[in-house]
Amino acid sequence: MPKPPHWELMIVWYFFLGGIAGGAYFTAAIADNFGGARDRGVARAGYLLSLPLVAVCGLLLIADLGVPTRFLNMMRTLKVWDPMSIGAWIVGVFGLFTFVSSALSLSSSPSHAALRRKIGLVGIFFGFFLASYTGVLLSNSAMPFWRDARLMGALFLASGASTGIAAITLVLFLTGGSAGEGWGKLKHADRYSMLVELLLLAALIAALGAAARPLVSGHFATLFWGGLIGLGLLLPLALDLLGTRARALGALAAALVLIGGFVLRYVVLMSVQA
Amino acid sequence: MVRTLAMFTDTSLCIGCRACQVACKQWNELGLEVPEWTGGYQNHAHFTDKTYRLVRFIEEPGGKPNGDLAWLLMSDVCKHCAEAGCLDACPTGAIYRTEYGTVNINQDVCNGCRYCVSSCPFGVVSFNESTGTAKKCTFCNDRIHNGLGPACAKACPTESIQFGFRDELVGKAAKRVEKLKAMGFKDAQLYGADAKGFLGGLNAFFLLLAKPSTYDLPDNPRLPQRNVMVDSLLSIGSALVVGLGVLLSFRERGKGGPHA
Repeated sequence: MPKPPHWELMIVWYFFLGGIAGGAYFTAAIADNFGGARDRGVARAGYLLSLPLVAVCGLLLIADLGVPTRFLNMMRTLKVWDPMSIGAWIVGVFGLFTFVSSALSLSSSPSHAALRRKIGLVGIFFGFFLASYTGVLLSNSAMPFWRDARLMGALFLASGASTGIAAITLVLFLTGGSAGEGWGKLKHADRYSMLVELLLLAALIAALGAAARPLVSGHFATLFWGGLIGLGLLLPLALDLLGTRARALGALAAALVLIGGFVLRYVVLMSVQA
Repeated sequence: MVRTLAMFTDTSLCIGCRACQVACKQWNELGLEVPEWTGGYQNHAHFTDKTYRLVRFIEEPGGKPNGDLAWLLMSDVCKHCAEAGCLDACPTGAIYRTEYGTVNINQDVCNGCRYCVSSCPFGVVSFNESTGTAKKCTFCNDRIHNGLGPACAKACPTESIQFGFRDELVGKAAKRVEKLKAMGFKDAQLYGADAKGFLGGLNAFFLLLAKPSTYDLPDNPRLPQRNVMVDSLLSIGSALVVGLGVLLSFRERGKGGPHA
């Protein structure tokens, strides 16, 4: 029977931070291109968040290898239909985008801003990719439950969006830079992506049927239902609806979304490897 | 590619002596392991990074034609699949197909990402902590390139493990199944012999006396990567739905377009 790859805490963190990096970047690029002047804080926070996060992602991936000094061997080939191969490439390419976008977001020159928006438009796709490919990587392995979860990539993408937006929200709250309508738009986008995530999660569980057992009724069920569904999705949604004007409540909701995003990766990875 | 080589393991001839398992260990210099309690003679329960040939000992009540308990013995090994999940998963190109059709891991290239471990439908590929690389049966790559058969096949005293050209072995195997069926082994069947069957056929294929699941083998193993297109399209759909929602949240309404 298939063997677990022993992708444990380092990979849980990688999946989690990679989702945030991708989500924060595409949110920033969308706000930058389609938002107004007052959304610049959101765009800048998103760009500046994605850069260190993707750097940490790269380090985590290298550290988890059996022979870390051979990490460049990933660059010996490019297999477009192999999530592990193309994923390694995209982490690098996306890293370049976050670097350039971050650098340009520090400039106030209009020509730099125009260039930044154009680069962001292309970078959006790499952000989407980084947030979702980890799910496709799992669903194309031989492990029971992972291999049956057709919607894993789609779910990880929605979770990348909700956690990326939550991370931007927290940064703005903590730096006091949340003036203007950017905050309300962020909360709106976060609520939306959480609802998409909930729907995808429901569809994934329904489609899995008995294969979902390690998640919904095994040793990890408490964490799944309590940590992810309750604490990480339903409670922040309720908090957002209750107190759209109270900043602290919004920030608390964002922190809960982040916890939920981590729990999602944790239960998905660990429940079939334990 | 030269003519495909294969190993045919006829489990009806296996006597459980484990000469193959020992020969494999010795030739490939596979180190000592702590034995595990499996409730029977089998050791280990699964393939490990130091066990590439594994004799399975299975007790099957009522498995004999006369209704007695059957002791099913099977020398299991990497299947060297024609469509190999491990090979498709490998991001470094360390896992490659030889000119003989076998699948091998280049130990100097593997960087230990372990995607191949979770991509083998049979749980063959194993991670070695000390080398930091993935390990599995090499089909005695060094021996077959020097005119010798694999160590396991060479050591087998009953010709339960046969080595040769795939097309010839498949013909032999088909005749053997017919013979066994005539003797009353009604569940005798080939596993992986059919090149049009699952995974494009296995270059190490088997004759089983019971259904595959009895031997801890999947009845219908599938290539893990077969869904990558569907899963990617679903992710793209999700990206469109999520991206559009975020865009609508940030869009400037009634101000004459962006950057007003």
